[in-house]
Amino acid sequence: MSKIDLPQGTLDLLVLRVLSAGEMHGWGIAQRLSIISQEALQLQEGTLYPALYRMEARGWIQSEWASSENNRRAKYYRLTKVGKKQLEAQKESWDKLAAVVARVMQHE
Amino acid sequence: MDWFRQFRFKVFGFWRNRDRDADMAEEMRAHLDRLIAANRNAGMSPENARSSALRQFGNVPSLQQRSRDEWRFRWLEEFRDDVRFAIRQMRRSPMFTAVAAITLALGIGANSAMFALADRTLMRPLPYPNADRLVMISERSATRPRMPVSPLTWQDWHDQNHSFDQLATISTGLGGGPMLSGPNVAAESVERQSVSATFFDVLAVRPVAGRTFLAADEGPRPTVVVISEGVWRMRFGGDPTLIGSSVRLNGEPFTVIGVVPNEVQFTRPASIWTLTPALPASFKDRGLRFFEVIGRLKPGVTLAAAGADLSTITRQIAEQFPDTSKPLGVTVEPLRTAIVGAELELTSAFLLGVVAFVLLMCCANVANLLLARSRVRARELAVRAAIGAGHARIVRQLLTESLVLAAFGGALGMLVGKLILDVAPTFIPAGILPPAVQLSFDSRVMTFCAVAAIGVGVLFGILPAWQAKGMSPVQAMMADSRSITSGAGIFRSVLASGQIATAVLLMCGAGLLLRTMVVLGNSDVGYRADGDSVVTMDFTVPATRFGGEKLLQYYNGVEREVRAISGVADVGWASSLPWGSTELGRWPFEIIGDAPIDPAARPRADYAIASPRYFDTVDLPIVAGRGFADSDTAQSTAVCIVNEAFANRYLQGRNPIGQRVSMQPRLLNAPAVREIIGVAKQVKGRPDEVEDLLQVYVPLSQVPFTDVFLVVRSATGQAGALVPAIRAAATRQDPNIPVRRARTLDEIARESTARYRFRAQMAATFAALALLLATVGVFGVVMYSVEQRSREFAMRIALGATTANVLALVLGSASRVIGAGAVIGLIGAAALSRSIAMFLFGVQPLDPLTFGSVVIGVAITAVIATAAPAIRAARVDPLETFRCD
Repeated sequence: MSKIDLPQGTLDLLVLRVLSAGEMHGWGIAQRLSIISQEALQLQEGTLYPALYRMEARGWIQSEWASSENNRRAKYYRLTKVGKKQLEAQKESWDKLAAVVARVMQHE
Repeated sequence: MDWFRQFRFKVFGFWRNRDRDADMAEEMRAHLDRLIAANRNAGMSPENARSSALRQFGNVPSLQQRSRDEWRFRWLEEFRDDVRFAIRQMRRSPMFTAVAAITLALGIGANSAMFALADRTLMRPLPYPNADRLVMISERSATRPRMPVSPLTWQDWHDQNHSFDQLATISTGLGGGPMLSGPNVAAESVERQSVSATFFDVLAVRPVAGRTFLAADEGPRPTVVVISEGVWRMRFGGDPTLIGSSVRLNGEPFTVIGVVPNEVQFTRPASIWTLTPALPASFKDRGLRFFEVIGRLKPGVTLAAAGADLSTITRQIAEQFPDTSKPLGVTVEPLRTAIVGAELELTSAFLLGVVAFVLLMCCANVANLLLARSRVRARELAVRAAIGAGHARIVRQLLTESLVLAAFGGALGMLVGKLILDVAPTFIPAGILPPAVQLSFDSRVMTFCAVAAIGVGVLFGILPAWQAKGMSPVQAMMADSRSITSGAGIFRSVLASGQIATAVLLMCGAGLLLRTMVVLGNSDVGYRADGDSVVTMDFTVPATRFGGEKLLQYYNGVEREVRAISGVADVGWASSLPWGSTELGRWPFEIIGDAPIDPAARPRADYAIASPRYFDTVDLPIVAGRGFADSDTAQSTAVCIVNEAFANRYLQGRNPIGQRVSMQPRLLNAPAVREIIGVAKQVKGRPDEVEDLLQVYVPLSQVPFTDVFLVVRSATGQAGALVPAIRAAATRQDPNIPVRRARTLDEIARESTARYRFRAQMAATFAALALLLATVGVFGVVMYSVEQRSREFAMRIALGATTANVLALVLGSASRVIGAGAVIGLIGAAALSRSIAMFLFGVQPLDPLTFGSVVIGVAITAVIATAAPAIRAARVDPLETFRCD
């Protein structure tokens, strides 16, 4: 299976989805994305960070330094109330878009 | 406070960017370390593990830059959104926007105009290179802090000082307004200053064309002249060949050597400069002082050090020549201070302070409007908070709205300021600003406007923003909109009290200045002629033209010609006029027969030359003895007339007539001892004089002097209309004798009180504006509280309260606000009024009449402001009110 590039803007949605399971640091988010997508995504892990900062600036997520599972310092991100609403809204519009795209593509 | 930290974090993003950068670097490094560790675990070599990890992660610097952009541009984006939203809000309530913007525009406009004045008089250096090193130097005695310097003392300072790069002089009394004529250019009077050759070097002025003076130009009769660019362009069409060619001053040939910029202006206007003739070597009189001295300090030399240096020289000379030189102190002050003067500096600071208070009032009124509106907007803000906008975000949005409003007001304010400065020359009376101070709306004033707008935006925006911060969304959504902003009522009452206090303060100041003006206007001027019907003109006959008998013939010729003009009632000559215009000044005198007094300790009186008809022309009564007659001539007994103050103070208990006075102005060739033949009524020397002016009048026929005023009374009342005919008559007699400054006695009187009137008018205007703003403020607060409490009033009325009860309730709460403000204002006024004592005359700083009238005025205004809301409260219909809910 060849790797696919993420369409513009969908990274935010994926990160929000991963964080909806609970707070996590950047490395962890990258691992989760890789595992869930079964390594199908062509993602340079560093691109997570601009997305994280953007969402933090918009108040969708919050961050805090804490010590990680193996006692290293790591910055943990978690969803805010606004972020949860945002996730729902984006998921909804994504679902609609995906359905519409699928319908259009199947139309002969 | 959490919201404050967030606020700072957002607004001052750069403040925290270093922390963020460090955070980001650490986070990314940790991520890379883990990738490397994972690759190592998978069996890669250290180098491979690292390069593979970097490939997996992406380009670190570019990612970091993108991350930084995220948090930086976010702030800009949100700001842009807020600005757009703010503009939409302003459009939606045009009345509110208009009132707020006009209020701010008035406040900022008035402030920018006053700033322009204060900038020129207090802050900005003079337009010369290294102007901070320019000083003015005067001699100082126990009673006179600034005396002109004698030429000999100046010469010693010049030769012996160690503190100055250069010293220069301006000769007072040697300028005059000579008639300038050139090839094909008709004679016209110009303002001249007579200076030393170093004058332009001290100022470091570069000529526009030609050169400035050189030491070699000096001599007993220097014949070179430097002209201003204005005269060069206006009178000579900017002709470059004028340099080196000859013009005439009062008919004498002079060579133009250079043209200098118009900015070379001091305490008196000037557009041409000539060199002061060198004094003869035999001249030894150190008591004759007529030099203003300016100097350029060597770099690093302080005013005090320079003063000490010159004092030492002066003291050594006094020891060397004890007969002619008394030891005097030396005053060295910055040139700007000397030009602008302490009084104008204080006036500027005072007016700037007054308008600053007015601006605060404007801020308070706009804050009041915003607070009133926040009631309407409470729900909107609550909704925003409920859908997740943080407090910081809402505070920022509200502040942005205030700033947009302020920017709008500021832009209008700039227009207002420009307008005020454009018309300023017409309402600033002549003589208030020295020629060196020219008001203009320039980049510094514009910067001030911008800074003021931002400042007031934050100032009036902070209250509503702070209030919004304290509000919980649930509270705002659930509660009735009437109760949620109860805190605003207190804010607004405090604001209204503050406004009343400011208005009271400003009105007390304005009241004191107005009372001063009235006192000055009511003083007895002495002369009985209608001030409008008498015009005076300044004649300056060049000393080289003719003297003695010839000079008198010239004066008589002019007098005869002028008397023949139809509409002229009377004509006279005098060297001193009421209100302090004096050509010869004050000189020591003694009464013959009294105990002799040491020359240095003698009292001084104004030496006034007058023709026989002068007293009739201005209708100044001779209260005892006789006036001058044509029979008083150079050959008859030397006579004089003293004024009432002179007779009362120095001839008390004696018949003044027949007493003899000795008085000898320097350089004046006339008999010293004179017999008193009459006593003239007192005239004012200055409107604000604390001691009556002493005057000794001497007849023109016995003291033919070159600088005198022609005084003409019109038979029809309007003397100004006679001026062209008088000028023509003078030109017929001799076209080369300068005749300047036609002024009526009324104009002279107005000029002498101009600064008092100017201050009073400005302060009164601003105080009236402040009172209006305060009235609006009080009205707003009372109206608001009446609306807030309408259910309470309805309940009271339903339970049987009378109209009077309700009125009393409203007036009671209003009077607390007003009373508190008035008391604070009076305390402030009492504390500050001393600082304007210099501007007061005939009025005490704590004048009870002024303070009392202000309190009554404010009370009346307050009643007017409260009346409408109180009546509204009394008319509350219980049924209506409860049905609404």
